[in-house]
Amino acid sequence: MAEEPTPSYVAGEIPRGAVTAALIGELQAAVGKRYVLSTPDELLSYEYDATIDRARPQAVVLPETAEQVAAAVRAARRFDVPVVPRGAGTGISGGALAAVGGVVVALTRMRRIIEVDAENRIAVVEPGVVNLDLSKAVAKHGLYYAPDPSSQRACTIGGNVAENAGGPHTLAVGSTTNHVLGLELVLADGEIVWVGGRTRDLPGYDLAGGFVGSEGTLGIATKISVRLMRLPESTRTLLAIFNRLDDASNAVSAIIAAGIVPSALEMMDKMIIHAVEQALHCGYPLDAEAVLLIEVEGLEESTAEQAGDIDRICCESGAREVRLAVEQADRDLLWAGRKSSLSALGRYFPNFYVLDGVVPRTRLVEVLRASNAVAEKYGLAVANVFHAGDGNLHPNLLFDERVPGTTAKVLQAGAEIMRLCVDAGGSITGEHGVGLEKRDFMAWLFDDADMAAMARLKRAFGADERFNPCKAFPAHRGCGEVTAARIQRAAAQSGDENVYV
Amino acid sequence: MSDPAIASRIDGFAAAVSHLQLPVVDSGAFVVDGLKPATVVCPKSLSQLQECLSEAHNQRLYVTTIGGGAHLHLGNVPDAFDVGVCTPGLDRIIDHEPADMTVTVEAGVQLADLQSALGEHGQFLPLDPPGDDRATVGGILAANVSGPLRHRYGTARDWLIGTRVVHADGTTSKSGGRVVKNVSGYDLHKLYVGSLGTLAVIAEVTFKLAPLPKVDRTVGVACPSPAAAQSIISAAHERGLAVVAAELLSPPAANAVCDRGAWTALLRVAGGAAAAARTMDEIGDYAALAEGELTDEPAAWERWRGAFGPAPLSLRASVAPSHAAALAETLDRRFAGDAGRITATSTAGLVRMNLSPADDVRASAIIDHAREIATQRGGFVVVDAAPLAVKKQIDVFGPPRSDIEIMRRLKQQFDPERRLSPGRFMGRI
Repeated sequence: MAEEPTPSYVAGEIPRGAVTAALIGELQAAVGKRYVLSTPDELLSYEYDATIDRARPQAVVLPETAEQVAAAVRAARRFDVPVVPRGAGTGISGGALAAVGGVVVALTRMRRIIEVDAENRIAVVEPGVVNLDLSKAVAKHGLYYAPDPSSQRACTIGGNVAENAGGPHTLAVGSTTNHVLGLELVLADGEIVWVGGRTRDLPGYDLAGGFVGSEGTLGIATKISVRLMRLPESTRTLLAIFNRLDDASNAVSAIIAAGIVPSALEMMDKMIIHAVEQALHCGYPLDAEAVLLIEVEGLEESTAEQAGDIDRICCESGAREVRLAVEQADRDLLWAGRKSSLSALGRYFPNFYVLDGVVPRTRLVEVLRASNAVAEKYGLAVANVFHAGDGNLHPNLLFDERVPGTTAKVLQAGAEIMRLCVDAGGSITGEHGVGLEKRDFMAWLFDDADMAAMARLKRAFGADERFNPCKAFPAHRGCGEVTAARIQRAAAQSGDENVYV
Repeated sequence: MSDPAIASRIDGFAAAVSHLQLPVVDSGAFVVDGLKPATVVCPKSLSQLQECLSEAHNQRLYVTTIGGGAHLHLGNVPDAFDVGVCTPGLDRIIDHEPADMTVTVEAGVQLADLQSALGEHGQFLPLDPPGDDRATVGGILAANVSGPLRHRYGTARDWLIGTRVVHADGTTSKSGGRVVKNVSGYDLHKLYVGSLGTLAVIAEVTFKLAPLPKVDRTVGVACPSPAAAQSIISAAHERGLAVVAAELLSPPAANAVCDRGAWTALLRVAGGAAAAARTMDEIGDYAALAEGELTDEPAAWERWRGAFGPAPLSLRASVAPSHAAALAETLDRRFAGDAGRITATSTAGLVRMNLSPADDVRASAIIDHAREIATQRGGFVVVDAAPLAVKKQIDVFGPPRSDIEIMRRLKQQFDPERRLSPGRFMGRI
């Protein structure tokens, strides 16, 4: 049989070396003996993230400095072994899994906030800093770090950089890429280099912009300088309740079309409403089909005016009730349902599979309907809780992995829903990344020439296939087949507090 | 163009693209740093653009892309320039769905035309670079120019969500997409922004858009000192007031922009009616505290764009925002005799200075001195425009940083034969 040609988007060969005792020894010399894990028990918690897939590395190193990261990378390179960077492992695309084995470099010990320059609204942090911890640390200066993935209590800034993470409040202020100014990187050859810095005006190619969202395939960020934002003077939160899903979707479009860009615009459907109401009793009517959670931030006068406009638009769009909260405690109550929605679902279904697709805002109504129809076709329950304002859908397919054949059906339904998003002019991921899970859907969005251009960036970073191989681009010869493991074992565990959307 | 080998390759190129029947353009209007291209072609579609690049590549000719010609002064002196590819023929607005707040356009669309089309739907692209109305969307991206609105809205990279480019060999690729939130594939479009056309030719782009504010009003506060003028800007920034642009103008700049002879804070107040009203009230209070004189300045931004287009010597200094006002003051003091005018987007740490030095020697001295001053404050200076003889002596971007090797490899990957504006970029890439 003729050998399959290597596609143009693959930059180099997948490392084929083995993790030997000698390599373990070098890694121990690099980071200290107790920070190299290599027994099956120790490795267990590094074989999964928050997706369905699993893949076990042969070793995990926990460095504390950029120099240690570089030493570990160099050692792995000498032994021709892949390197897989990892943050908190809360990713929902399989990005942190060692797809073809190798050494996982876990950045969770690098959790120092190195500098806060409040006057210039900049912080420099290590990659293992937990997202919410940064906002807490700078709150005393009246500042916060804007990207707020729903896993922000657990996920790390380094992981956010890898995935270009978003969150409910990215509607008005953008995703991680809009807030990262510069990065200290360890490259594939172990070199430590800064790209970008502390201002957007640095001349030269925007390498930091190219790195953010590269899913751990270009290098390992060891320091990150980020923009901080001023905490708003006033915040108003509205909860609009609808009897029809279409009305809620139309209200989303109407708000945007009216020239209002709320700081968050979230939707929850009936399945979520029921789960949340039974778990929390937060006052959602059980006969409602959808609720919108809308937040505006800014000057007192501005939020008052916008909240008034949003109230009116929701009512005109068919909302049966709009609740408004101004005080923090009241706003927290409105958000409580949103924030606990997935753990509430876990009470009723042993497993759920979180999808992440994007459609133009004007296509929300039809894609939501079609997506629900796909779930129905496969006999799966689906719950939608998502960032409606930017068209970022998160259908959650609910299932019980113990029922034979169910996981396969879930994956098939997930693929069909992703296809709906692409056909509507959207994307296969808005904030979770392509990772392992959706690498084969990339060809729906990008042709070989597009991906070949992307591979040029990888070569420019000198990264070839050493960093996080087989991720973010279609699987190719040598990537093996992790999917077998997916079918056998569904890992999205019920009530896992580290699973959020 | 006396080299007969090049002349024959130019002829070969002209013959190869003649069937496209592209309009004849006077190449004298496309001189970059004294280099006049042998020929200029103006394709009208993506496929024509591809063919032009492909044929130039076949003939081993050096290509510089030109939008409206508004940014030809930027960058180092190119090593070679055989063929100009001008893009204003690519002027279609491909798709604008107001309810999605996105727009997809061909790169040759002029910003002014795009803004008026978007304005009909109450939207705009919040970019307002200095210079004239010739600027095209593709040129603005390639040059990564921004204006006073970056105080509130950031720079081009924050609004760009997808591109299609044509590579040096005429092939095409895309990155990003047409939805506002998308993390599939590498964000190559970020790398094309500010690349001065040295990686690829931007052909189509998709932007996120912003709603036009209901109230949009500009005031100037002429103050007794730069610190006083800056105090108003800082207070508005700290308070989170409804200010979308805030420039600190030196007295000569204020004179050119709003007929004031003092350090002036120029503030654009925009938003809802109530928020704008309160913002105006507070600015009035801070102006009084600063002993400043507040006036309405409805025409100031138009004049600002004129005053800060390319000058005989245009410098752009960048420091931490907390140092911007002091840097502006120092530069003003040192270079007042060189007809220097300064405008600082102080909240971004950006200080622009336009000067008319007496001669090239003085121009060189100013550049060196300004770099020294900025470096002392932890910043740097990019030379946006300078006399040709001076440009030839320097790297306008200043000394490369440690990531220059990645940049060189990136150029090598995207344009291995260095056909696209060779030598024009940082480190003479």
